[in-house]
Amino acid sequence: MREWWSKICSALHLRRGLDGDLSDEMHAHLDLMTVENVERGMPPDEARAAAHRAFGNLTRTQDKAREAWQFPRFETILQDIRYGLRGIRRSPSFSAVVILTLALGIGANTAIFSVVYSVLLRPMPYPHGDRLVRLGESTAQASGIAVTWINFQHWRAENTAFEDMAAVTGADLTLTGRGDAVLTHALLVTSNIFRLTGMTAALGRLFTEADDKPGAAPTVVVTADFWQTRLGGDSNVVGESLELNGTSYQIIGVLHPGRKYLWRSTEVYLPLGRTQSPSAKRGDHRSIGGLGLLKPGTTATQARANLDAIMQRLARSDPGPEDDHRSYVAYLADVMIGGDLRATLLVLMGAVGLVLIIACANVASLLLVRSTARAREIAIRVAIGAGRARLARQLLTENIVIAAIGGALGLLLAGWCLHTLILIGPHDIPRLTEATLDIPVLLFAAAISVAVGLLAGLAPVWNAGRVDLTTALKEGSPTAGTGRHSQAFRSTLVIAEIALTLMLAFASGLLVRSLIAAQHADPGFNPQNLLAIELQLPGSRYRSDDSVREYYGQLSQNLRGEPGIEDVGFVMCPPGAGDCGDYWYSILEKPTPAREDVPLSLFNVVDDNYFHAAQMRILAGRPFGDADRRGGSQVTIVNEQLARQSFSDPQLALGKHLKVGGPYMEGPTLEIVGVVANISQEGLDAERSPTFYYAFSQNPSSAMVVTLRTSGDPAQWMIAARQQVSALDRNVPIQSLRTAEDWLGATLERRRFATLLLGLFGGLAMLLAAVGIYGVLNYWVSARQREIAIRLAVGAQRSTILRWAGFHATRLAVIGIILGAIGAWSAAHWLESLVFGVTARNPLMMLLAGVAVIVIAALAASVPLWRATHTDAVRNLHEA
Amino acid sequence: MSTVDNPRKALEFLQGTLEVLILRSLQSAPNHAYGISQFLEQQSEYEFFVDNGSLYPALQRLLQRRWISAQWKKSPNGRRAKYYRLTPLGRTQLVAAKSKWIRFVEAMARVLAPQR
Repeated sequence: MREWWSKICSALHLRRGLDGDLSDEMHAHLDLMTVENVERGMPPDEARAAAHRAFGNLTRTQDKAREAWQFPRFETILQDIRYGLRGIRRSPSFSAVVILTLALGIGANTAIFSVVYSVLLRPMPYPHGDRLVRLGESTAQASGIAVTWINFQHWRAENTAFEDMAAVTGADLTLTGRGDAVLTHALLVTSNIFRLTGMTAALGRLFTEADDKPGAAPTVVVTADFWQTRLGGDSNVVGESLELNGTSYQIIGVLHPGRKYLWRSTEVYLPLGRTQSPSAKRGDHRSIGGLGLLKPGTTATQARANLDAIMQRLARSDPGPEDDHRSYVAYLADVMIGGDLRATLLVLMGAVGLVLIIACANVASLLLVRSTARAREIAIRVAIGAGRARLARQLLTENIVIAAIGGALGLLLAGWCLHTLILIGPHDIPRLTEATLDIPVLLFAAAISVAVGLLAGLAPVWNAGRVDLTTALKEGSPTAGTGRHSQAFRSTLVIAEIALTLMLAFASGLLVRSLIAAQHADPGFNPQNLLAIELQLPGSRYRSDDSVREYYGQLSQNLRGEPGIEDVGFVMCPPGAGDCGDYWYSILEKPTPAREDVPLSLFNVVDDNYFHAAQMRILAGRPFGDADRRGGSQVTIVNEQLARQSFSDPQLALGKHLKVGGPYMEGPTLEIVGVVANISQEGLDAERSPTFYYAFSQNPSSAMVVTLRTSGDPAQWMIAARQQVSALDRNVPIQSLRTAEDWLGATLERRRFATLLLGLFGGLAMLLAAVGIYGVLNYWVSARQREIAIRLAVGAQRSTILRWAGFHATRLAVIGIILGAIGAWSAAHWLESLVFGVTARNPLMMLLAGVAVIVIAALAASVPLWRATHTDAVRNLHEA
Repeated sequence: MSTVDNPRKALEFLQGTLEVLILRSLQSAPNHAYGISQFLEQQSEYEFFVDNGSLYPALQRLLQRRWISAQWKKSPNGRRAKYYRLTPLGRTQLVAAKSKWIRFVEAMARVLAPQR
């Protein structure tokens, strides 16, 4: 401690004085010795010379004394850095290869890490984001379903695990009275949501408990965006009213920009409690989701146990059909990032990490080659007194300088890559666009640069420590340092590179194969020339089912009149739109399932003509038709998947009855009149889920997607479709207008993204491995040039030389490929979630990857091998 | 390297010993660097050779620890020289180090040349 303090003081102000003082002191020392010598009878000149001799090296002594005052050799580090920079300038092409390799490795890693950091690791943008949880109910089949309002009230009042909990539900409301009707995304919330998410008012106030009670006056809080775009940024807007679905709401506040509730784009907030009836039943489900703030130190599991106990108590005191429901509590961070996305990002991070290791191995072997070429220089320095530690430090510093330059260049590359990633990345990855090269990412880049510098740099240092002085000095030839151990080390690096490259090639091959499989997956309908108009009828104008039926009937008729439109059908949830709702069901003619075995199915609503318009195959029975009117017997059409779960043949399902809600829940009973082919509802690469279809005529829905079969490129009919919708009722907003192929294609966005990146990494790995193999073999040949020349001179054939050198190369490749195959095979299960249409442990893909790596290795090896066989024996031996 | 010690070659200082010996040399009176090296060589009957390359850094280390202090003074023969003196802290260090080293030396001797 005391030493450090003194050093700090000296560094601050004493340093300059110290140099002069030491010099004075040593000269005084010399004077004293000289005087003594003179007293012994020496002539003054001789006395002074003798004193100098006895004292030793004055400057060096001064240096060493001064060093005692310095921080761990800062000056020598600077000197090493200068030396390193000089070394880079001295061999520019070598340095360029090393620095470029590092920049590629570090750049790719930094870019991917910044995505992983932004999407997976960055804390949630809420106060106490780590304690926020998503709340819901769960059953034996499904977890995270909506919580009922009454259950939520009990949870809120009786729990001991939460600081606070809020309830939220979304609604799309039509805004009228301010120009054209527009659809606004509203969120109905309990008044405490703003506190939980840290949202504050920029103008006016936020909801209070009083606004959130049944019977309270209708109030609305708008977001900054909505205020700007729809209300013109008027600062006097508080107190005005907003007409939503025909009801007038008083604007009480405008939120600060920035914070938003999860990833949903919300425009206005309404109080939820105002619309809820306190006399509702415990089993009355709407789509209410909960948001909870755990007490500090409470885990989600503990909170779940707490809520489950409340649910069990309620089942006894207030029995109902949902007594087996339990709670669902999951950290918000985990909910936002689905397991698939997490797996994808982690696989990408792993892959890019492998690329870095390959780059690192490459650089290590290059540095090793150079340091053996420098063996003579090192030997000389050892001979004139450089300590081993000093040499090691200098070599390491040089390598870190190179790594730092590579890292800086990598950072530039990463910035560019990140920009591109965000541009081409799927839009549904939360927080992807927020990825930047911020402090944690820069720290990561710095850390891997230093780590790579140390790791790659250790190889030559380890080698330098073993330099045999006399041999190195005596040999002085290019073969100096080609000892068995450094050669073996380089070979190990090549084997590792080949193995890792094989793993990456295998993984990217699998993903490319999966993407092709997904793109060619049968969607179950014909997405070509199909246009989809997503509509939402404003509830204020279309209150009755009849008005909804009439609107869609009229629209369909009008669109049919448009030239080039061949067929029109409508569906609630178009293919590729995902899961728009699922529910329990049972087949009445089958044995009643146990409570926890009731199956779930997606449900959808289609009109009579939809299956025809979409060109979906009817496997049995008939489509909906005129017979299926309101008041007639309730009918349904099921998909093949659902039919096969209960019946061996789709035909057998006809005439049977499907009970919606299963045996334990209320719901209508529907007669199965048809079985239709499976379609890719949740995406081309998703499993085909069981689905049952309601007839639109019997169960009209105000939100439908109108599909148009056109006679050519459907984009040409977009304007006509818009005009028809507007002509019928200009108060009906179009939510989206795109082709069915777009709907479907969007489902493959993530897969394309992951495949593209992994493919790039695979390519990068191959390139790096090729450079590495070339470098090491080339060096191997250079070191054996004389041996080859002698062999040729004594009569060896070129083919013998080729066999000899080729055997060396092949041995490395074979060992690498075997190790890589083992590695890829055992790591294949990591890819399970990303693979589609093929098995993860795919022998054919392994074979292809192996062949690709062999071809790359052979190409990289061919130049050194050519050099080996074309050694000019006579010249080489003369020069030697 | 030979395995038998060459008695004509001066002894090198073991790690940490030079500092203790410097403290000892300043026990009775302040001295300058040259004086310290002469004192050590004479007291050890020329078994130790004090290398200035070791002596000066050692002095700096002792200064940093505040075990000695330095002051420019006139020497008896009228020359200016930098004199080192023990600080109270250095004095306590010397007492502690002395007993430690004597124990160490005696233990070494008992192990290396046991008296039968």
